[in-house]
Amino acid sequence: MSRAASNMHVHQDNSVVERRLRPIYDWLDIGNNKKALQECDKVLKKTPNLHCAKALKALTLNRMGKEDESRTILDALIKENPTDDATLQAITLCYREMQELEKICKLYETAVKLDPTNEELHTHLFMSYVRVSDFKSQQQSAMTLYKIKPKNPYYCWAIMSIILQATRGEGSSDPKKRMLLLSLAERMFTKMITDNKIDAEQEVQLYIMILELLEKYEEVLAVMDGPLHTKLQSISIPQMKLKYLKSLNRWNEVNLVCKDILIDSIDRWDIWKDYINSVFELMGTNGVILNDECDDNSDAKGDSELETIDDTPEKAHEFICRIVENGTENGYLLRGPYLARFELCSRLSKKSLCSADLLGETIELFIEYFRKFGHKPCCVFDLRVYLNLLNDAKKAELATRLIKDVGISSTTVPQSEHQMQRHICALQLARLCGSHRNLPADHLKALVTALSLHYQHGYQAYSKNLLPTDLGASDPYALIAAHILYDLAQTQNNSDFIILALMLLDSLLKNSPSNFHAKLLAIRLYHVVGGGICAHEMYNSLDIKHLQLDSLGYVHCARLPTTGLFTLCTNLFDTTLKFFASNYKDSSDHLTFSYKFGSFMKMNEFLDFRERLNNSLHYTAVAIDKIFLSLVECMSLESLYCLSIPPKDHNIDWELLRDNHDLNVYMSWDPERINSPPEDWEETKQLFKQDVLFLKLRNFAVQTVSIIVDISKSTDGTRQKYVDNLRSTVTDWKNLFEQTVAENLAPISEALIPLPLPSRLHGALRVPYLAVFGSMYDLLTTLCGEDTEDASKSTNKVTESLDELTKCLEQNTLKKPNNLLDKRKSMEIAVNCVEVISVASVICIVCNELVKPPHGRKAKKKSSGDSKNRESVIVVADKLKREMNTFCDILQQWTESVTIEDLSQRLEALHLSTSQNIVDNILHSYTIANKEMQLILKTKVKMLSSISR
Amino acid sequence: MTCLRPFTCDDMYKFNNVNLDPLTETYGLSFYMKYLAHWPEYFQVAESPSGDIMGYIMGKAEGIGENWHGHVTALTVSPDFRRLGLAATLMNYLEDVSEKKRCYFVDLFVRVSNKVAINMYKNLGYIVYRTVLEYYSGDPDEDAYDMRKACSRDVNQKSIVPLSHPVRPEDVD
Repeated sequence: MSRAASNMHVHQDNSVVERRLRPIYDWLDIGNNKKALQECDKVLKKTPNLHCAKALKALTLNRMGKEDESRTILDALIKENPTDDATLQAITLCYREMQELEKICKLYETAVKLDPTNEELHTHLFMSYVRVSDFKSQQQSAMTLYKIKPKNPYYCWAIMSIILQATRGEGSSDPKKRMLLLSLAERMFTKMITDNKIDAEQEVQLYIMILELLEKYEEVLAVMDGPLHTKLQSISIPQMKLKYLKSLNRWNEVNLVCKDILIDSIDRWDIWKDYINSVFELMGTNGVILNDECDDNSDAKGDSELETIDDTPEKAHEFICRIVENGTENGYLLRGPYLARFELCSRLSKKSLCSADLLGETIELFIEYFRKFGHKPCCVFDLRVYLNLLNDAKKAELATRLIKDVGISSTTVPQSEHQMQRHICALQLARLCGSHRNLPADHLKALVTALSLHYQHGYQAYSKNLLPTDLGASDPYALIAAHILYDLAQTQNNSDFIILALMLLDSLLKNSPSNFHAKLLAIRLYHVVGGGICAHEMYNSLDIKHLQLDSLGYVHCARLPTTGLFTLCTNLFDTTLKFFASNYKDSSDHLTFSYKFGSFMKMNEFLDFRERLNNSLHYTAVAIDKIFLSLVECMSLESLYCLSIPPKDHNIDWELLRDNHDLNVYMSWDPERINSPPEDWEETKQLFKQDVLFLKLRNFAVQTVSIIVDISKSTDGTRQKYVDNLRSTVTDWKNLFEQTVAENLAPISEALIPLPLPSRLHGALRVPYLAVFGSMYDLLTTLCGEDTEDASKSTNKVTESLDELTKCLEQNTLKKPNNLLDKRKSMEIAVNCVEVISVASVICIVCNELVKPPHGRKAKKKSSGDSKNRESVIVVADKLKREMNTFCDILQQWTESVTIEDLSQRLEALHLSTSQNIVDNILHSYTIANKEMQLILKTKVKMLSSISR
Repeated sequence: MTCLRPFTCDDMYKFNNVNLDPLTETYGLSFYMKYLAHWPEYFQVAESPSGDIMGYIMGKAEGIGENWHGHVTALTVSPDFRRLGLAATLMNYLEDVSEKKRCYFVDLFVRVSNKVAINMYKNLGYIVYRTVLEYYSGDPDEDAYDMRKACSRDVNQKSIVPLSHPVRPEDVD
């Protein structure tokens, strides 16, 4: 009765309320939270009990970062059990921001109890379960919804929820349960068919999905042949059938369906592969009988009554030849059948069968393909896959013959753009064949000179009128030259070649300013020589954003922490973390879209993607680096207390971490590239393992600082718990550290461009993180106890570890290398040393807090223990200050110690104008990094100066 | 040499070689996810034999009554795989889907300065239906051509009678 009355009341007031609230929404929409807050207060003054206004105020406060105030309002509001949609939506937004998605479920659970027949509220309740992946509750709420309003989508939501229980919920670890659930889903769907209720395509897709999970492929095929297939508008049924025919090993039908498709679309590579595969599957069986059997099977044969099954390589070859002969009606010469020969050849060789009788010498296939398609850049991509068919001698032969075939000698230049493209293609294939390996350095230098000249000529002749958004046709010459220069830098251990490569890329980018291959390569090369600022400028010009922050994070962001450029780090870390945090929040919305639009086929994909994003190795690395950076820059106890360590919205699940890097974005024609993309290389796996170890060790450092903050904030009663926690965490750290050292892991090779630089693990192991932190923590725990004798012992240990740290920095900067490759590595060590001593200083101020005479307590006579403890802290603080001043001296001396050999002679050979700019810019980057480090150290000295007698 | 298949979320981790091209925009995740959830059949990727992404098309179907039509939201081909007829293959696919959905026409917007693309669309049978003034924001703003091609359902080709006057972006639905 009273509920009805209150509903009436709301209804009457609705338009008035809406008018009042409108401005709040408007301000929120444009992001003016301050104005929105004023408006909220205004409305609440007039109508202090208006739920929606309260909810909007909470939302506004949340967006202003005033989470505590927001929470107070929300908690009070929830007790009043609001049920109107606008209020609930606003509260939902708040909880979403706070990532307290369970509370949204509670919110709507309460709401539907009060208004049990409200379809909209039930829908929201269902979606709230989707957000937290509570599949069981999803199922129940979808069924409730279906009982209120018997609409097909609700029924399908329930079925989908059951499927997810089977595949990702309890069924994922219990095959029996899985079967039970899937059968239930099937029965529910069959009922829908019997009741003649099937209406939309998505429903049929859902059915196919269930059958597929049950491995009932015959039934899937029956659906596609039966009356339901008319609903399937957006897929090509013959191609869909292929998938299930393959699963059923019905190779004769696969063969025929493929042939049917290929006759119409001769460039369908996936179908060619299926076709060839079916031929080899059929080869083992008796083809004649299969052909007979199939005569009755008219629907598998489709339109072309005349096609027969190809069950031998000979017949396949005949079919390919027929397609080649017929297939020139299109304006483009299509590569499909030509490449199909390679696939046939490859399958024969895998079966150790001779291919020469059928296809001729394999090397001739390459030559023929090159003659037909060598003027297209895709030719290299196509042939790369099959270069494995040739042994090393044949590869060398191919390389020579291709270059010869192009007709360009050491004294001529391409006469047409067509010829130039063929030349480029031949050069890239030659490099893939290994022809740049094991050449004497002089030979390679001459090659670089020639390529540089070809680049200049090609630019003058064919690229003059390009739009700024186009890539220059001759750009690949310069890119190959840069790759060869990189090889030279590696084999000769000389960074001058890197500088030359950078100059070449610089001149390329002046002509084609949007060549992203050149930019990516330049970033890579700048990082090899430690020119972080230059790399950063190049990176900015690529306009990397959104998901690229993850997939391309390794290119620049992951290297920045080794450069000592703290300011750049802060900005890029923040951008990256913001992307991850906000997208994790959004990712639950995508799941709800999927239900809304019935795209059940995408559901698993969306769930996987959400996990992939959230378990990104790069995300974890940046999150930890960000905290470390905050600690390094931390200036006082107060700011330490304000830091959120560990990151509150990022729980690391080490087992699930994934490498999301797109290494394939780097062009490379290294022979290693033939077998597999860089993602699958052994080095990539090693790197991942080492990076994870590095992060685990680094996370211990962060965690322990977090614990000592707890110690410092705690009162005597709870302190012991935290002290014990600190001890056990340090022990875990020590165990992992010793294990890691014992493994004696080698850094991955730097020789290949697509591989990121070696893991930071190695640089970290060379710096005494654990020794310094561990000794500081020993001191700290001693200070918490009563035994003052230990304090001086601990002080000695701290002193020793700091001496070790300074020695580490000294040794690394002693050498004054002209080689920037070494300088970069020294810089990484130097940054680590600065990091250690900075955080040690922060630990020191926590120690100081622990020995401070307590306020408020009546001035009890100081015990001798207390003053001894204070004395220990002062000794340590003094030591830290002394060492940091020494650090500054060492770094200052190190700054101006690089001289670069005069490169003008080599530049002339490449026809590049002498430009000192690149060297200057790299050295400038070092200088800035050095200054930033010294600044950090000086502010830390100042911070510690408050600790004195 | 193409393998056309539905675009998946994981493709977003691999499409950099296409998207780093300055004329291809990389959108926020939600944009792609919305299309994947709502019109998954309209979002296709072309993969090379080497497993590289050569290009992709994203689109949708919308409109009421005789305005029910397919729309090309984005079409892009990597610089390494141009002049292979790939754009035409992808467009054909989208037109096929639109036919199956009984659309009246397919439309798309293109910068008036993008001569290469405009010509390509003309070759594929599209006509300039109207000009949309200052559709692309930038410095300066740029006009768009709204180009259309009729589907078989539009028997009298009513949907592709060009407008004589340009329209403002707010008049485009």
